[in-house]
Amino acid sequence: MSYAIETFGLTKNYGNGRGCHDVTLRIPAGEAFGFLGPNGAGKSTIVKMLVGLTAPTEGKALLFGQPAGSVEARRRIGYLPELFRYPGWLSGEEAMVFHAKLCGMKGAELKRRINRLLDEVGIGQRGKDRIKGYSKGMQQRLGLACALLADPDIVFLDEPASALDPVGRHEVRELLQRLRKEGKTIFLNSHLLEDVELLCDHVALLNNGRILADGRVSDVLRASTRWRFRVGGMTPELLDWLREAMIVPVDIIPWEGGDTPAWGEHWLEAELAEDEQVGYFNRLLMEQGLTLYETRKVKSSLDEWFLQAVSGLEHRGENR
Amino acid sequence: MIAVWMLTWKELIRKKVTLMTLLLTVLFWIAFYFIARSAGASVSHYESGIISLDNLIDRFRGSAILLWIGFFFASFATGFLAIFSSVAAVTGEAEHGVLQSVFARPIKRTHWYLGRWLGFVTFCLAYALLLFVSIIGIVAYATGVHPDWSSIGPALVLFVSPVLLMVTLTMLASCWLAPLGNGVAMVLLFGMGWVGTMLDRVIAAGMFASNDSTKTSDTMEMVSGLIRLLIPTDALQQRMLSDLFQVKDLGQSFTSRDSLGYFSIVNPPSDAFLYYTAVYFVFFLAAGLFAIRRKDF
Repeated sequence: MSYAIETFGLTKNYGNGRGCHDVTLRIPAGEAFGFLGPNGAGKSTIVKMLVGLTAPTEGKALLFGQPAGSVEARRRIGYLPELFRYPGWLSGEEAMVFHAKLCGMKGAELKRRINRLLDEVGIGQRGKDRIKGYSKGMQQRLGLACALLADPDIVFLDEPASALDPVGRHEVRELLQRLRKEGKTIFLNSHLLEDVELLCDHVALLNNGRILADGRVSDVLRASTRWRFRVGGMTPELLDWLREAMIVPVDIIPWEGGDTPAWGEHWLEAELAEDEQVGYFNRLLMEQGLTLYETRKVKSSLDEWFLQAVSGLEHRGENR
Repeated sequence: MIAVWMLTWKELIRKKVTLMTLLLTVLFWIAFYFIARSAGASVSHYESGIISLDNLIDRFRGSAILLWIGFFFASFATGFLAIFSSVAAVTGEAEHGVLQSVFARPIKRTHWYLGRWLGFVTFCLAYALLLFVSIIGIVAYATGVHPDWSSIGPALVLFVSPVLLMVTLTMLASCWLAPLGNGVAMVLLFGMGWVGTMLDRVIAAGMFASNDSTKTSDTMEMVSGLIRLLIPTDALQQRMLSDLFQVKDLGQSFTSRDSLGYFSIVNPPSDAFLYYTAVYFVFFLAAGLFAIRRKDF
């Protein structure tokens, strides 16, 4: 398997306890990778080391086998920084022409590609306007277009949707999904876990500069074994009896969407690993004369995974 | 590198600093022309028809003083333009998030740095050339005295050298200092060069001529020498004026200190100092290239 990104004990020590420590990652080519973590965890530091903006204190990183930061490695990447601004006295088109020249692009192809990308990110004819007149969302779109300018093999995106409205977010998500289908490797650093969940194959969670957990998104989401049952006629005695009969945790959870209805409906939640257990639980409910209105598996989300993983831990990024 | 160079020109042209500099320069030209014309009239109206040695020296003195005034303005105009155009070159642009996307491109940082340096330097040189030609032109037109053609080339090189030095130093300092701090530091450094020359004048004027003043003068000479070594810009300006007025060639008939008073050229630096300045320039340009390669963004 060829790896787009490999890091070996990557460490950056800023001398104030910040930075990251011993980060080892392997991201196969063509995968979308989600990099998560609380504020100040060191995510941007790692991205900066990968794109060559910051030199590691220890360890090394390779992009398609080339040392991160080398001109050869940078030839294959596109990068959208988290906090960036293009000079306001340039037009969007001029900023892109400048970046295209830095990538060694020239000729009619350059012009065509710039126009196509400006259209794709929704800037279109406003590309001729000065950037100082752009909204934050438009600057973000321009940054995205610039990141894709040289048709990179790896795209590093640091909070790509942070300044976008819901429509913009949707468009960016579609664009990224298309890039993924084209076989690009995407390194997505985002707090919008819903986007990560929809786009990424693999996630890693960073806390205080160290990798806390990582895995395939499908595995992380599959890990949930909780089921919910909407029943009528539940009593405390019946609940105790169910717990004893199933030998698994069964709880009444707060009613979804407001107060409990007067006729005594409840939501029960149980940890059931096998489908057979779910069938058996249903049968027990029916045998006890309870009314079963609805049964569904609780869909796990990255939010829950994230919160569970970092709960109880200290985060250096904020005073909590 | 050329793309960065061209972008720097575009930046300087589009930013209002260029417009303001040119507007103020036009104002200077107008004022300087009227000063030169009235000074020229006062030194050339008498002794009509006969050019005596005294008259010649008067005219020469008038022309030298005008050039001194003109180049005094030109020196700080070009110096300040060099400082304030390049003051935000590295840290300022990094703080605004401009450099992060540039340095992720397949371009060597040293090439970017040299591209920016060339952009600032060539722009400021163009402005310096404009000032140099206009000052000599206005003085020659108003007084009828122009410097010897052979001295103009070397004088021009000396006149524009501070631009190279100030852009080099300002860009180097911008690797660590934010624009405001860098601007203040560079203006103070540039101003210190003037102080060095003023000390020379004070010593030359014999203001510490009392019996026990030798020690004071020695100390002041040492401080002045150190200032010149620290920031050679004003010393280069003195050498430029000295070459332009051809003070050495005039010998006994024209002693700068006696004839020009406050505008005298005191202690113009030697050729060895010019070599020192060349080494100084190369050292700080190399230091800037080294710093940009090592800097984390």
